Amino acid sequence: MAETQNWVPLGIDTNVPSMARVYDYILGGAHNFAADRQVGSQIEKLVPGLPSVARLNRRFLGRAVNFLMDQGVRQFLDIGSGIPTVANVHEVAQERDPAARIVYVDKDPVAVAHSQLLLADNENAAIVQADMRDPETVLSSPEVKRLLHWEEPVGLLMLLMLHWVPDEDDPQKLVATYRDALPAGSFVVMTHVAKDQIDESVDQAAAVVNRSKSADQMHMRTHAQVNALFDGFELVEPGLVGCGEWRPDGPGDIADETSMNMFLYAGVGRKD
Amino acid sequence: MTKPSRRPDAAPPSDTAAVRAREALARKWSYLLSSVVMVALSRDELDAELSAQLDALCAALHNEPFDPAPFEEVGGRLVALGYVNEPGLKRTVDVLGKGLLALDEFRASDQHTVRVVGGIGALTCGFTAARARAILDQQESMQRSLLKAAHDAQRDQRQSEAKFEGFASSSTNGVLIVGLDGRLAWGNDAIGVILSHRPEPGTRLVELIAPTSIVVFREMMERVLAERGEFEREPMQLVRGDGEFAKVTLTASLLRDDEGKASHVLVIADDDTELALLQGELRRQSLHDVLTGLPNRQFFTTHLETVLRRADPELGVTIFHLDLDAFGLVCNSLGGRVGEKLLQHVARRLRALMSREQAMVARFDGDEFGIIVENTAFTPDVATTMAAINADLADPIYVDEHGLAISVSAGVVHRPAPDVDPVELLRMADLALRKAKKDQRGQWELFHHNQDTSFRQDAALAVVMPGAWEQGDIGVCYQPVRMLATGELAGVEAVLHWDLSDRCAELADETGLILPMGEWLIRIAAGQAQWWRQRGEIDAQFGVRLTRHQSTDADLVSRVVKVIEETGMPHEKLTLSMPVCVLGVADAAENLATLADRGIRIALDDFGLGPRDLAWLTELPVVSVLVPKDLVRRQDLRSAALIPAVHDLGVNLCVDGIETEEQAEWWTAAGADLAIGAHFGSPEAAGDLLKKLN
Repeated sequence: MAETQNWVPLGIDTNVPSMARVYDYILGGAHNFAADRQVGSQIEKLVPGLPSVARLNRRFLGRAVNFLMDQGVRQFLDIGSGIPTVANVHEVAQERDPAARIVYVDKDPVAVAHSQLLLADNENAAIVQADMRDPETVLSSPEVKRLLHWEEPVGLLMLLMLHWVPDEDDPQKLVATYRDALPAGSFVVMTHVAKDQIDESVDQAAAVVNRSKSADQMHMRTHAQVNALFDGFELVEPGLVGCGEWRPDGPGDIADETSMNMFLYAGVGRKD
Repeated sequence: MTKPSRRPDAAPPSDTAAVRAREALARKWSYLLSSVVMVALSRDELDAELSAQLDALCAALHNEPFDPAPFEEVGGRLVALGYVNEPGLKRTVDVLGKGLLALDEFRASDQHTVRVVGGIGALTCGFTAARARAILDQQESMQRSLLKAAHDAQRDQRQSEAKFEGFASSSTNGVLIVGLDGRLAWGNDAIGVILSHRPEPGTRLVELIAPTSIVVFREMMERVLAERGEFEREPMQLVRGDGEFAKVTLTASLLRDDEGKASHVLVIADDDTELALLQGELRRQSLHDVLTGLPNRQFFTTHLETVLRRADPELGVTIFHLDLDAFGLVCNSLGGRVGEKLLQHVARRLRALMSREQAMVARFDGDEFGIIVENTAFTPDVATTMAAINADLADPIYVDEHGLAISVSAGVVHRPAPDVDPVELLRMADLALRKAKKDQRGQWELFHHNQDTSFRQDAALAVVMPGAWEQGDIGVCYQPVRMLATGELAGVEAVLHWDLSDRCAELADETGLILPMGEWLIRIAAGQAQWWRQRGEIDAQFGVRLTRHQSTDADLVSRVVKVIEETGMPHEKLTLSMPVCVLGVADAAENLATLADRGIRIALDDFGLGPRDLAWLTELPVVSVLVPKDLVRRQDLRSAALIPAVHDLGVNLCVDGIETEEQAEWWTAAGADLAIGAHFGSPEAAGDLLKKLN
């Protein structure tokens, strides 16, 4: 098999930007490489408020996890968890209940390796390397089987994820597959880049991502389209809204530039 | 990111107006910071944290002489809060630069202005230094993750390549991997057989095709490259090394690399000649067990060799040698056909249970199975795997209306050295299995090297033992049994003696040599007893201990009766004992009862003084029980507490291995009746014992 010896697995080539690491860069982290920073700073130039968007998304994640904990959810499936950074789901959840269980899912091998190193001593949290578009693999993984109990509610998190899934891959059906696997009383938490709220600079930013060597291509969606992804879930108050407007709790939850609050749609849905 | 806590050395001033002014400044700082940084703290927590830091800064400004170190420290603590970048620093400098000087407590003096400026400078330095360290740390952790990801990916690749190679190598079909340039990259053994020579890598595939098939071949390859379908299939002829033609069916499909680009063509050649079909079946049969369809021991052993070489050096492999418990019982009571069905069921279940692992399940002989697992990071540990197997097999299966639930015992070798010989490895697993089966069922045992050493020594001794016996190197010795209270002679016990090992009876028991040797021991002892009695020298009770093997021997009674007849020893003068644990095994208790019926006194050896041991005393006419050396040495209070219960049943109690006066006194006080051991006289040759006694 001499032919394949020089094979470099996709995602380990640091010349190819990874969206997980670009996100970390925009958030202010240094868990990234030159190619990631290049794409990150190009996008930042086009959309100067982007760091606040990343931060708002992260703040929303914290509020949503706390909300789910209030509803009695003690197990989470975080799909597209990316590079573990400040205020991860397991940190938020396990701070309130050390027995809370979290399974992260990401396809980026470096993000997965990083998470494995970070979670090595945490027996209630694990990461699965899988593509979210392959729910079979995710749901039948040993980590999910070990940590998630299907007779009690699950918090399914898909933040900044579904705009990477083109319509051809039928994101609605994909969410439905995960939804069908969830027990009644479970929740889905989603953020998604908004198409109808923002100006053409975002289109240009999306074009930067789509032109880069990254395998991920961005597909923005309108309020109605994102709303449709919540089919079969009942949206909790205040419904599908701008990320900063979902139950804000402090100054850091809302951006100074009001347009940035609407950059992402955010919502939490409950399965009855 | 740990959460910092309030520092006690920076208490706020007592003046309430000043406290309020500081709180307002801290909140403003927190508010401005939270909209540009990402920290793991809630709003209240951040307020509290910054309030504590502000107190520390104010304390430093008041302190004489002024030391800017606390400012530098606060700069560092900001970085530790999470992702606090340059915008965070900028807002901090803005809010503190103006805010500190606006506080009443610092407004009065110019000196404070100088201090604030110096302090903010120090804060910036502390921030920059800590931020640089944080960046280096994060970069370093990324490098580590990158290395790990690359290593994991390589291992996954090795595993999938190994899987493919394992499949392709063992396939009876010819397998060829051909580059897009039409040249051979790799071929398996079977294609070498079909072509009667193994084609060199780099050979053009078209050179292997017979002239009559060239057109069909070219068209097929064009269709493959044009990706009309999943695969293409055509019968054609290949040119063999000897110039003959081989009739084959070629199946070709496109292989893609990770980015989905076509990289190679996979060609599989079915050898269509009758001979090939027959050979394939024979080869399969010679490597597989016909009953279960599993690989056989020979295949397993060859496979072991390959697996040991390619296994991940860190995680290694694990070998299980499984044995069904009570399989003989199933066959004897329900018939061989039920047994066969049971084996097929176990084979299916084992294969299903191991389906998540890179593992081979094989059937050895009879009711034994082998499993080799190439461990991954997610392979469950040995205990979990064994528990899963036994839990699964405990679910009854129905074979001809018999519900059968079974358990397996296992010998396990975990992560052996990669250079160990496969045959040696199987021996290690077998040894561990035998150790596991020794005591109970459904058990498993890991192979240990020190066990192995003592086992090898024993095995070496066991080999020479029959010769030693024939040469007269193994003899019979006698030790006194005395009344514990008075020291008076109560009997004599005959034991085997061999200079090379003090475990002579145990070794002989393991090899089965004990059957003739034990009979011989009773014969010699009885002869000696008769000799002493006839000469009026000793007329005592003579004891011999039976081993496990002897106790369950179907011929035990006839052997003993024969010896007694030959020597003329009175039945009631002979005491035979059996280890209490063997009584549960078929025939043993019955043997003992029959011996008692013949007038022989019977005793129980290795008596644990447990309730279950006591129960036997009500079922058999036992005269005496013998407490083993380890319990005697331990002077176990719980054992001693049960002595009255033994006496209540009319049985007397003998303690073995009394070595000191102190032990003798302790057991006397506990109520034991008889004793054996160095303190009362070690085993001696007949003549020496007699001299000592006189």
